[in-house]
Amino acid sequence: MMIVEFTVFSTFKFVAVKLSEVIKQQNNAAELFSVKASRARLFKEFKEVQREKVADPDIQLSCDDNNIFKWTALVKGPSETPFEGGIFQLAFAVPEQYPLQPPQVRFLTKIFHPNVHFKTGEICLDILKNAWSPAWTLQSVCRAIIALMAHPEPDSPLNCDSGNLLRSGDIRGYQSMARMYTRLAAMPKKG
Amino acid sequence: MEEYFSSDDECCYSDRDSLDGLENEDSRTHWAPSKGPASKVITKESLLAAQREDLRRVMELLSVREHHARTLLIHHRWDVEKLFAVLVEKGKSVLFMEAGVSLADQQNLGVPLPPTVMCEICIEDVLGGDATRMDCGHCFCNECWTGHFVVKINEGQSKRIKCMAHKCNAICDEAVVRNLVSKTHPDLAEKFDRFLLESYIEDNKRVNWCPSTPHCGNAIRNEDDDFCEVECSCGLQFCFSCLSEAHSPCSCLMWELWVKKCRDESETVNWITVHTKHCPKCHKPVEKNGGCNLVSCICGQAFCWLCGGATGRDHTWSSIAGHSCGRYKDDGEKKAERAKRDLFRYMHYHNRYKAHTDSFKLESKLKETIQEKVSVLEDRDSKLRDFGWVNNGLYRLFRSRRVLSYSYPFAFYMFGDELFKDEMTNKERDIKQHLFEDQQQQLEENVEKLSKFLEAPFDQYEEEKVMNVRMQVLNLSTITDKLCQKMYECIENDLLGSLQLGIHNIAPYRSKGIEKASELSVCWGNNSDKALHCGSSGRTTESDQPSGSGSSEESGISSRKRARMEGPGGAFFDLNLPADNVDRSEL
Ligand SMILES: [Zn+2]
Ligand SMILES: [Zn+2]
Ligand SMILES: [Zn+2]
Ligand SMILES: [Zn+2]
Ligand SMILES: [Zn+2]
Ligand SMILES: [Zn+2]
Ligand SMILES: [Zn+2]
Repeated sequence: MMIVEFTVFSTFKFVAVKLSEVIKQQNNAAELFSVKASRARLFKEFKEVQREKVADPDIQLSCDDNNIFKWTALVKGPSETPFEGGIFQLAFAVPEQYPLQPPQVRFLTKIFHPNVHFKTGEICLDILKNAWSPAWTLQSVCRAIIALMAHPEPDSPLNCDSGNLLRSGDIRGYQSMARMYTRLAAMPKKG
Repeated sequence: MEEYFSSDDECCYSDRDSLDGLENEDSRTHWAPSKGPASKVITKESLLAAQREDLRRVMELLSVREHHARTLLIHHRWDVEKLFAVLVEKGKSVLFMEAGVSLADQQNLGVPLPPTVMCEICIEDVLGGDATRMDCGHCFCNECWTGHFVVKINEGQSKRIKCMAHKCNAICDEAVVRNLVSKTHPDLAEKFDRFLLESYIEDNKRVNWCPSTPHCGNAIRNEDDDFCEVECSCGLQFCFSCLSEAHSPCSCLMWELWVKKCRDESETVNWITVHTKHCPKCHKPVEKNGGCNLVSCICGQAFCWLCGGATGRDHTWSSIAGHSCGRYKDDGEKKAERAKRDLFRYMHYHNRYKAHTDSFKLESKLKETIQEKVSVLEDRDSKLRDFGWVNNGLYRLFRSRRVLSYSYPFAFYMFGDELFKDEMTNKERDIKQHLFEDQQQQLEENVEKLSKFLEAPFDQYEEEKVMNVRMQVLNLSTITDKLCQKMYECIENDLLGSLQLGIHNIAPYRSKGIEKASELSVCWGNNSDKALHCGSSGRTTESDQPSGSGSSEESGISSRKRARMEGPGGAFFDLNLPADNVDRSEL
């Protein structure tokens, strides 16, 4: 399996600026890279995903039947983390200039994690913003997100409570909160 | 002072037609150590040449190609010395790596691409001829490269477009970018070139755009590290550090605060809110005149000053009939006192600042009328033949007037609480303020005298009286120059120099006035083998191929002429707007 390295944005403000830029670009750059090319690439990724399903049991990517620019993924919480045993759903909105511009990804499943917005599920991850490279795929983005779940970056929190617990060194507090939410939101209900 | 009017000969230095002449050597008023002009005007045409010089030095020293030299220079903000220092300190490979210059072995790059290549971006097999390998070794199809470049140029990142591969920091070869983009988006290729060219100004700590509006199209390069004020060839004088009008002896921070203060007139607003309240009945503003908090409006309505509520007319020291708001304390009184004191202080300095600025404007008109006086005198058949002293005196008057007017905001902050409250004890501050105000006063007196003599109708005077005016003007010119010099010395050494916080720097005093940036001498050098791509769109440029894009016909013309030479559509860069402005207007 490929090793995914990543870093997380260091400040909130920066994220805000970048996000607004992304939106602006999408408006301006609509016809820059042919939609056909994005479709073709996504279609190839789709085929690749079918093949990789066996190879990577932690990720289950699927594409909306009617819209190839809408994807969802189910990822397994990494072991030896408070997310272990949980299944987390991610939603992908792929821009028409993909892969020249990154997909927008958010958690649909509630998760208590410093770099994920508790309400919106927004993710603060550099490869989804300025460190994006067209060589990433939706599959490798999922891997990066799994890696982020295992290695939170409390210095750029989107969830301040969670970030504060970690920063103050209260690892146990963080873990028990995160585990609680995993149980509540990411595990199938018993009975 | 006697030496200044000892003999006619000495005073009869050659007459000059314009004030510009005074810029030239004048041993009499030469206090500042003379240096060659440290700032250069970079015009649209010399921009290429200015970059070329730096690029060539880097290309030669490191034996790299032009786009690598540019990438290195952009990374180091066009600071060649710093780039060389990093080279010595950290070595070539670190220098290259940090800047995103790829050192992939060149032999490998020489190997032609296989007949078909799998592009990892579109996951498509393409012909070798339809793919491009970058210096870092990464190869993708041309369509994907183009899309990537277009997105980046639109994002405004064209100065450093990174390779598409994960984690690859290599900066893409500008020739490849230009070549691929121009095939489908010639307008963007042009924009890309403009960004590259203007990087020399935008990313360069020694170069600033002239802040004139409408923009004159020039940039100024300052070779010194010092704080300085410069004059662009368009005539605008500005502070090189903060790009606002020349403001010494105020520091940039002082000037910024002052401008803001004058704009807000915050103090006046405070004063009005503290000293007037609106009548609860007729809503006219009512001013309080006396200590009593029961005020009455001309409409007859009485109201409580503290809460603004309508009241009866009877009151005692501590209460008003029919009213109790519980705010009948002297707290408001103290605030009012403070606001009043601050306002008076501000008004004191502002009035003087404004008076001198206004005089300066009036005296600027003197420039025209005084020429008439001189011609009247010249037509007379008199002993006095040379009237250089008139222009000389006028110039000195302008110069000193400026210093004087900016010395008031300086004093406002220097001796106020806002910036240096904890820097001096009250006693120290009083002593320093006295010292400074003495000098300021002396300067003020002499400037006014000088102004009076120059405004006098001396063209109507008898010859002897004209000689007297001349002597006075010469004398006062020298004195004011000396006093300005002294004031700056006092500020630099005794006032700002003694502060713990070293953030306040001022441009040094120059007797001769603000330095005019000289034309950047355009020397195209002998080896124009490595051409700078000034980027006519659609041209296929190999970076090793000489293209002689900077033609020598541009070299010998002065910038004033050039400014007018802009043919319609002839130039592809509109340097009248910084790149991002142009972009915005295009979108
Ligand atoms: Zn491709
Ligand atoms: Zn690369
Ligand atoms: Zn200018
Ligand atoms: Zn300044
Ligand atoms: Zn009234
Ligand atoms: Zn009263
Ligand atoms: Zn009241």
